[in-house]
This record gives sequence, structure tokens and C-alpha cells, in this order.
Amino acid sequence: MNKATITTQLRGLAATGMVAEPETAPAPVVEEVEEGSKAKAAPPAPRENGLLEVDPARKGVHLDVQLNADQVVAAAQVLDAEGMQLEAITGVDWINDNELELVYDYSYTGGEFFRVVVRARIPRDEPNIDTLCNVYPSANWHERETYDFFGINFEGHPQLENLLLPEDSDFHPLLKDFKGC
Amino acid sequence: MSSQALSQNQEVFELNLGPQHPATHGVLRVKLVMDGEYVVDAEPVLGYIHRMHELMGENRTWAQYLPNMGRLDYLSALSYNLGYVELVEKMMGIEVPERAEYIRVLTTELNRISSHLLWFGAFVLDLGGFTPLLYAFDDREQILDLLESVTGSRLTYCYYRFGGLYNDVDDDFLTGCTQFLKRLRSRMPMYHDLVTGNVILRQRLVDVGPISAEMCRRYGATGPVLRGSGVNYDVRKNEPYSIYPELDFDVPVYNECDSMARYMVRMDEIDQSMRIIEQCIAKMPQGDIMAPKVPKMIKPEPGDYYHAVEAARGTFGIRSVSDGKNQAYRMKLRAPTFCNLSLFQEASKGMLLADALAFMGSLDLVIPEIDR
Amino acid sequence: MGRSNSLWPMTFGLACCAIEMMAAGASRFDLSRFGAEVFRPSPRQCDVMIVAGTISKKMLPAVKTLYDQMPEPKWVIAMGNCAISGGPFKFDGQYGIVEGADTFLPVDIYIPGCPPRPEALIEGILQLEEKIVGYRRPRWPRVESGLSQP
Repeated sequence: MNKATITTQLRGLAATGMVAEPETAPAPVVEEVEEGSKAKAAPPAPRENGLLEVDPARKGVHLDVQLNADQVVAAAQVLDAEGMQLEAITGVDWINDNELELVYDYSYTGGEFFRVVVRARIPRDEPNIDTLCNVYPSANWHERETYDFFGINFEGHPQLENLLLPEDSDFHPLLKDFKGC
Repeated sequence: MSSQALSQNQEVFELNLGPQHPATHGVLRVKLVMDGEYVVDAEPVLGYIHRMHELMGENRTWAQYLPNMGRLDYLSALSYNLGYVELVEKMMGIEVPERAEYIRVLTTELNRISSHLLWFGAFVLDLGGFTPLLYAFDDREQILDLLESVTGSRLTYCYYRFGGLYNDVDDDFLTGCTQFLKRLRSRMPMYHDLVTGNVILRQRLVDVGPISAEMCRRYGATGPVLRGSGVNYDVRKNEPYSIYPELDFDVPVYNECDSMARYMVRMDEIDQSMRIIEQCIAKMPQGDIMAPKVPKMIKPEPGDYYHAVEAARGTFGIRSVSDGKNQAYRMKLRAPTFCNLSLFQEASKGMLLADALAFMGSLDLVIPEIDR
Repeated sequence: MGRSNSLWPMTFGLACCAIEMMAAGASRFDLSRFGAEVFRPSPRQCDVMIVAGTISKKMLPAVKTLYDQMPEPKWVIAMGNCAISGGPFKFDGQYGIVEGADTFLPVDIYIPGCPPRPEALIEGILQLEEKIVGYRRPRWPRVESGLSQP
């Protein structure tokens, strides 16, 4: 595992995502947040793609990467090649932005303390994203769980069925507009 | 006979194991495809004890969510308590007094021993030996007595508070701990004589259920499962939290990758936890057990936070998203056994069914934690 | 009825309470003093089902089937708050659990607690015995609680 390689490659990935959208500024926006900075204390707003180096003592991770939805597989390949393990996948429902956020947590078990979180946002009415199952087999259950809770459709998943909810259930309880059943 | 003909003559049948089965330690169901006594495919089916912990995180205040941590993995409840309160303290920037930290580590390690003892008893029970369970429960009850005297409950503890503890410990408790350690020290050789060296046990465990370190990585396995595969990773050492950096203990690692290695890791962890407890008692400082200024209403700054601790079964991580209100916006609980179990389907292929169950026992499953 | 001397419970743990059920059967509390230590894994050999833990909606059909598979006469003990009412997991908008075993089973004895202590489970079994034979056997004196009733 090489921190510098991961940082460079993920930063490159985040930057290409910016270039793919012609109307935004061509230069990659890389925000460096200082330790304990409270600059982003405003109500959580969708942030732009990019890589943040954050303070692990405060946030619990070293790198915080936001990517386009079609780049999470490429990011997983980068991290897999460096020997990181996929710790969890989850979603967050940002109903006010009409978006769902996918959060991928990676950790390293080889000795050094290094954690990476990769995020991507997808529209709430078209919740589709590529599966990570071909990179990490552990993604299988994490994605099924996320499908349970948020109804996110992982394209290419070998067995996208309910994992924790009953087989015949048709609701997604962690969406913010879920009212019980 | 060609392989084609062989496969036609093979009688493959489906077998349903669980959700009510004594060997699955709860309500896990495994859909098996069997070829005689051999496992062709074993697919775990989860969700039979899904208790909505993550949804409850979103509709309870931060403090109201504390009792849930005791019910997630009820065998090592204090590790989960610790992970959660440390996360909230990290979000709020609360400094915890040193005495409280020592008591936290002491009680967490006691809880880890009781969890491993219960696993030990239940695991040997799975393999057909009833007596060790009675011995293990005897020792475990001593721990429960000690913990009950300070926490007030036997199993589903809710002892830590944001910024400190609910209750201080007294000298009786510390003396009790010392006496218990003396007792358990004298009993461990008996456990090893009775069980570890037993030839039947060794035949059931040695070379059964091999998991490579690479497989652990691809499936995200942690805890004793990972350490039994030769990877020296323990959150207490690698990502230090609380006062673990000040304590002297080893991380047991075995390279054999089989069920016996996982068994040995846990048995050695009991010894290491005893060392930690001894040091905590020796170093226990005087002072307060609560931080002086803890806000009554916990309202962390917006943003998301992650914290991981070493529970008895592996890395327990919480990712929590706050939107500045007194309830979490999202509470993701990363359960260690969820990942540890996910490698079962691949690893159990081609095993004898009896071996597969021994292997499953060596993963140390707590089903309500998997399903959350 | 003779069988009340030795009720055979089912090895049927759902969640946290199952550990206290195990503890009740193990060394210190030693349920065999009261003849109820013969935990059977098969419902066809059981007299009493101890519902020890939360019943999720996914688990509900299995619990029903298990109860139906038990031979008559049979009894049900709801152990712990989850089996009584849903306990701490009952809240508005919940989607996953059944709010109490008595919504679909004829429960004879309720044992409150989260989880109940093993002594409470033993007392529950003795009360079931009392319910079956109609009186408290003199060899199991009732332990009065120190609390005065209002």
C-alpha cells in the first residue's frame, strides 16, 4: 500500500470527472481542508468532485474522495491494486437535493493506519450505479443491504435480492420519505 | 466414466439449515446444496432478526440511542458502547478524564473475556463436547457479577456516557477483578489440557476451513478470523484509540489459516486481555469520571464522521452523518461478523457438512449483530 | 399432571434473551434442579416453547411452524420485553418486528426484563408448573419480593 500512489490516482480520477462536464471550470478543484476547519459547517450541500485530505483524529478517515457515479469502479480498482479492503458500503438519502449518496469505506489491514472514503451521488428518481462485485466479492452483501434500505439498483450485480428484509417486501425503509408499513 | 456421466449420476439435493437450528447460534438460515455429505453450495440467508437499529439511529436522539448499542452484539456489548460514545465525543470534541478511560478499557476487556469464554463453550458444544460449556459459564458468571456490580446489568450493558461513565468503580470491584484474574489464570491451563490438546478436537479443527489472508482482504474479514490467517491487524494497535497505546499487550497471530488457528487466537486473546486488565488496575488514576462540561443536548456539527473499535469479533465501525440536529441524519453500523460470514459461501465449498459447521462456529457469529 | 415435574423446553434462541436462557441451563443457575434442563432441538419432543428474543416479521412464519409442530399439550413462555410487546424495538414507523408473541401464539407466562435474569426464567417455569397443576408445589416455596405493593 502506497499512500502517495492512491492519493495521486484518486485525485486524477476526481479531476477527470470535472473535465467530463464541459460547463464547469477546466481546472480540477482540489480542496485542502485544514485540521479542524469549520469552513463547511453550513447545512450539508452537495460538494464538488475532488479529493480532501482530512484529519483522521476528527473525521476518522484520511482521504475523502467524491467522484462521479461511473467512477466508483475505477476507484475500487485503484484501491484493490494497493491492497486496501472494502469495509462497508452504505447510502445516505439527501431528499432535499433529490439525490442519494453512496459511501464506500476502505481500510488497510497491512499495518499502517489509512482509511479512504469514496462517495458518489446519484439522482433519487434514477438510482442506478455500477456494481463493485467484480472487484471485491464482499461488495455483494453490502450492495444487497443497500438495495434493501434505499432501493439503489446496482447494475451487473449477480443476485440483487432482499438480504435483510423479507423476500417479498417492496419498501425501502431508510429513504427519508418512508412512513412505516 | 466421463465427467459428464459422473455429474449425471450424482445426486445433488437441497438442504435447509435453520433458521431454527442449534448449530447456527441463533436464527441464521443456510441454503445448502449437498452432494451426499459434501457441501456443493452454502448460501446464508439473513434478516431473521433484523431489528432496525439503523432506522432507530435516525429517529432517536444521540443519548437515546445508547441502549441500542448494548443490544447489537450482546456478548461484547461494552465494545459497542465504547465505539459509539467515542464517536460522539469525537464529533463534539469532548475530552474524557483519564480515570474514566482506564475504567472503560478495564470493563471492555472483561467483557471481551466473557465473550470469548461463551464462544469457547458454545463452539465446543457444536463439536459435541458439553462439559466445557459448564466450566466456561462458571468463569463467565464471575465476570458478570463484577460487571453487574458497576453497570447494573448482566448482559445488555449501557454503562458509558458521553464524556465519561455512569458510575464510578470502588475498591471492592478492583479487588474482585484481581481475584478473578488469579482464578482465571489458574483455570486456563485446565482449559488447554481439557480441550486444546484433545485429539478429537484437533482432528475436527486442524486444516479445516482454510481462509487465506487474501480471501480475508477481499471479503473484508477482521478480528480473530483475520489474525488466524496470519495478518497482524488489531484496531487497538493499528488505529489506537482510548488509552490502548499506553498499555503493553501483544496481538496473537497464527499463520495456519484453519479453524484451530482461530481457536488459538481467541484463547490467547483471553490471556492478553488479562494482562491489559492487570495494567489498568495497577495504573488506575484517581479523579473524576465525567468530563466537566458535557452539553445536555448533543448537537454535533454537520458532516460525517467515522470511528472504528476492536470488538470481540472484529472491527466495529460507525459512520454517522449529522445535520446539526439532536438526532443523527444517518447511522451506519459496520458489523464485523457480517463481513466474516460473507466469506462462508466461498470457503465452505467442497467441505463435509460437519466440517462446515465447525468452520462456521470458528467464525464466532452473533446473528442479531449481522442482521442489525 | 406428571409432565409438569419435568417440562422439556425447546432449544430456540432468537436474540439476547437466549444467552440468559443458556445461562439458566448452565453451571450456576442449573435449571435441572427444577427438572426443566432437557432442552430439545426438535419441536416434536418439546412441551414448552420459550420465545426468547425479538420476533421479526421474516421469522414469524418459522415461529408459527415450530409451534404447530409441537405435540399437544404445549405451553408458551414469552421471555423478555421483545417477546411481550416488541420491547425497545417498538416505535412508530417500525417495519421489521412483531409486537409481541401473543399476537399469534397463546402465551401462558410473561417474563419481563431486557433481558430477564436467569432467576426470573426459573420463576417463570415454576409459575407455568403452578398453572398446569393448579397449585404451587410446597417444595418450591414462593420467594416474596421485598417491594410492597401499592
